[in-house]
Amino acid sequence: MRIGLVCPYSFDVPGGVQYHVRDLAENLIERGHVVSVLAPAEDDTPVPPYVEAAGRAVPVKYNGSVARLTFGPVSAARVHRWLADGDFDVVHIHEPVTPSLSLLALWLATGPIVATFHTATVRSRAMQLAQPMLRPSLEKITARIAVSEDARRTLVEHLGGDAVVIPNGVRVAAFAGASPRAAWQGTDPAPTFAFVGRLDEPRKGLQVLLDAVPSVLERCPGARFLVLGPGEADDQVAALGPHAAAVELLGPLDDAAKAALLRSVTAYVAPHTGNESFGIVLVEAMSAGAPVVASDLAAFRRVLGEGEYGLLVPPGDPRALAAGLVEVVANPHRRAVMAARASRAVGRYDWSRVTGQVLEVYQTVCVL
Amino acid sequence: MIEELWLLLAVLLVLGWYLTYTASRLDRLHAKVTAARTALDVQLLRRHMAAIEAGRHLDPASALLVTDAASRAMAAAEHDEESRGPERDPLDVPDYLEPLESEVSRALTMAFPAGRDTLDAAPADPFVDPFAEDARRQLVQACTRVQLARRFHNDAVAQAQRVRDKRVVRWAHLAGHAPVPQMVDFDDELPPGLSEG
Repeated sequence: MRIGLVCPYSFDVPGGVQYHVRDLAENLIERGHVVSVLAPAEDDTPVPPYVEAAGRAVPVKYNGSVARLTFGPVSAARVHRWLADGDFDVVHIHEPVTPSLSLLALWLATGPIVATFHTATVRSRAMQLAQPMLRPSLEKITARIAVSEDARRTLVEHLGGDAVVIPNGVRVAAFAGASPRAAWQGTDPAPTFAFVGRLDEPRKGLQVLLDAVPSVLERCPGARFLVLGPGEADDQVAALGPHAAAVELLGPLDDAAKAALLRSVTAYVAPHTGNESFGIVLVEAMSAGAPVVASDLAAFRRVLGEGEYGLLVPPGDPRALAAGLVEVVANPHRRAVMAARASRAVGRYDWSRVTGQVLEVYQTVCVL
Repeated sequence: MIEELWLLLAVLLVLGWYLTYTASRLDRLHAKVTAARTALDVQLLRRHMAAIEAGRHLDPASALLVTDAASRAMAAAEHDEESRGPERDPLDVPDYLEPLESEVSRALTMAFPAGRDTLDAAPADPFVDPFAEDARRQLVQACTRVQLARRFHNDAVAQAQRVRDKRVVRWAHLAGHAPVPQMVDFDDELPPGLSEG
């Protein structure tokens, strides 16, 4: 098949949607399909060979975080040319209601269109107001995919209609087979905890974890907190005073290092405060065999099998989070049971399964 | 006086544009529902054939049950097409469709219960049927695509119905004599024995 994928966010900056589009493209190419990805990127930025750069991305505040987006007449012309040159059997647009390439592609594309909705945003005023303008474009979508039950519910509430749920994919084997690094490995008196995510985005919950550090150190004096992700947090860490030494900022590391980190630590912590639709890092940690301690958000609860595959703690509550971390350290048996169940449950998120499901959707819309 | 006439003309022009725009949007939605419905019919036919093929590898009781449900649904669809001919409205949901397709899903659920794979389950059977695995794959795929096609169809219907409900569409008779598209509702759960693994 000839498949055109559209990613609204810039490949220069790491992010969930970008990784998803990249991995989907690579898995489709592996299966012998012809794939082109249209994404924002400067003309001189190195991109994988299957990516078509659609021009510079401008940082814009949208949906509570800063996103790098591309829009305007020049981009519209590029989208038009990409569609004409590609001659695709199916165009698969990600996050179609972002004011970026996706919306332009939706507006210009003809033929079967598949759209994946990644967010589970609560009632956005802009979306509400722009509905009458967006609706005719959205009616062009032949098949809608939501990445989780929560994303699907948001979609149904805001836009009506229905969608099929296909989860985000994870390279399970890459995480399960990564080698641990001694420097990050937790021991009995000195457990290690991993945080993964943007440091400057409050909803990722780094501050909640930092607030929990003193109470964890009280019970486990040797504990270390390994923080992976882009952004600045030196001031927040310094504010911990004598406890600051227990927190190590690793900066933004590559996928291999992330896998090694998750393979090494005593537990992975997801202290998010809300607005999450899936929780891909949870699945990555589960694949790597790391016990998960996560905020009790609807999306996380579902990924963790109602708490069977990980420990759920009340969101935004540092005391409860600290208690959860101490509990996981103190109870190696429980930790092992959770991790073992989790590693069996992740099979449904593996790219081999997910790519197959996405292809079924393509085949269904291309039947005519 | 002249100004009022100009104003009237402008209002009429805008109204005319709006009516044409809405009519073509509705037309697109009707075309989308028709395409989705055709896709669903294709997938249903594939499921009938896959179920009958899988029946050849099942125990005789399950085989009879599955083959009966699938062939009855297939015969009804054929009869419907022949008896009503080309003037049959493609959007019409015939009465037989929902109960007979639910029946097919139920028969498959009974033939493929949770926990084990019934294809070639007979332990005494000395020969291993190389086609059983292929039949199973075809059936899983057909069932999955029926699910997808039905959901995409109903999604399109919901959008068409929303536009059909607009006051301007009803007052100006923009839909002409086209019937209001209807959802297709039947049990399309994947049989538990097929959704595993």
